[in-house]
Amino acid sequence: MHIPDGFLTPPVWAALDAGAIPVVGYFVRRTQRSFEQSRIPLLGVLGAFVFAAQMINFPIWAGTSGHLVGGALLALTLGPSAAVVVMTAILVVQALVFQDGGLLALGANVLNMAVIGVWVGYLPAKLLGRRTSARRVAAFAGGWLSLMAGALCAAIELWLSQVAPPGPLFASMLGIHAVTGLAEGAITAASLVAIERLNPGFVYANGGRAAQPAGDAVVEEPRARQAAVSGR
Amino acid sequence: MTKTTGFFAILTAALVLLGVLVASSLPDGLEHVAESLGFAGRASQGAAWSPFADYEAAFVEGSWLAQVTAGIAGVGLIWAFGALLGRTLKRKGGG
Repeated sequence: MHIPDGFLTPPVWAALDAGAIPVVGYFVRRTQRSFEQSRIPLLGVLGAFVFAAQMINFPIWAGTSGHLVGGALLALTLGPSAAVVVMTAILVVQALVFQDGGLLALGANVLNMAVIGVWVGYLPAKLLGRRTSARRVAAFAGGWLSLMAGALCAAIELWLSQVAPPGPLFASMLGIHAVTGLAEGAITAASLVAIERLNPGFVYANGGRAAQPAGDAVVEEPRARQAAVSGR
Repeated sequence: MTKTTGFFAILTAALVLLGVLVASSLPDGLEHVAESLGFAGRASQGAAWSPFADYEAAFVEGSWLAQVTAGIAGVGLIWAFGALLGRTLKRKGGG
């Protein structure tokens, strides 16, 4: 849902560009304060994965394709604050290097996908708890809701820019992303299942509270049991 | 986290090397909506001022290789960003 330049009118994109800067700055500081140290190796590799996945479109139905956006996945693995920062970097690189998404529209795209998409993607897991049996459902729901929220925001921005009548605009944006969202949810949940299998005891990331004092290890089970489980 | 990083590194490589072969060129959600509702023409087309515009390296012959080159560039940039970010986040004493 990268908005190119030319869709949004100046009041809309300018306001969002201005607003995006302090918002992202806030999450940069929050990440610096509270990022879980043990997840540092994930920053580069998950960011790179989400970037690559965004490149690969899959057909949805006649005439349309979709691709992973990845906000929920980043939020649940890196924590939502760091996810905002990483997703922003992805969007900036996409706009500057690949001309995917407008430069003036960067603020809007950052708001839609890196801020709102990330935090809405994180919410179900946060509400349901990181280790409940419902966490896989929460991951799927997070993926789906993250796309819907992003699409809704994009539709509002397009509506404010008066590109099309609101009825068809909202209906088609929300309708298409409701379908793409199913794939987003499925990929998000499957990725987290894979991480849990590879890293027993992996817990979906917290919301950016300070790391635990003596053990910021991602794996929270006792070392002996973990070693037995993973055969190390 | 080594298994997880290895797993996603391999997936990323597969996406870049093989994904571009099967990727759909159908318009994505927003593009499709723009075309159906008639505002797609507002997008400023603009010259391709970046050598990697639209995820194809302009200086490479052959579609697959051009896309793979662009993919590697992007993946490399994001991975480097993540690594740098990680370095700034490391606190003394494993905070």
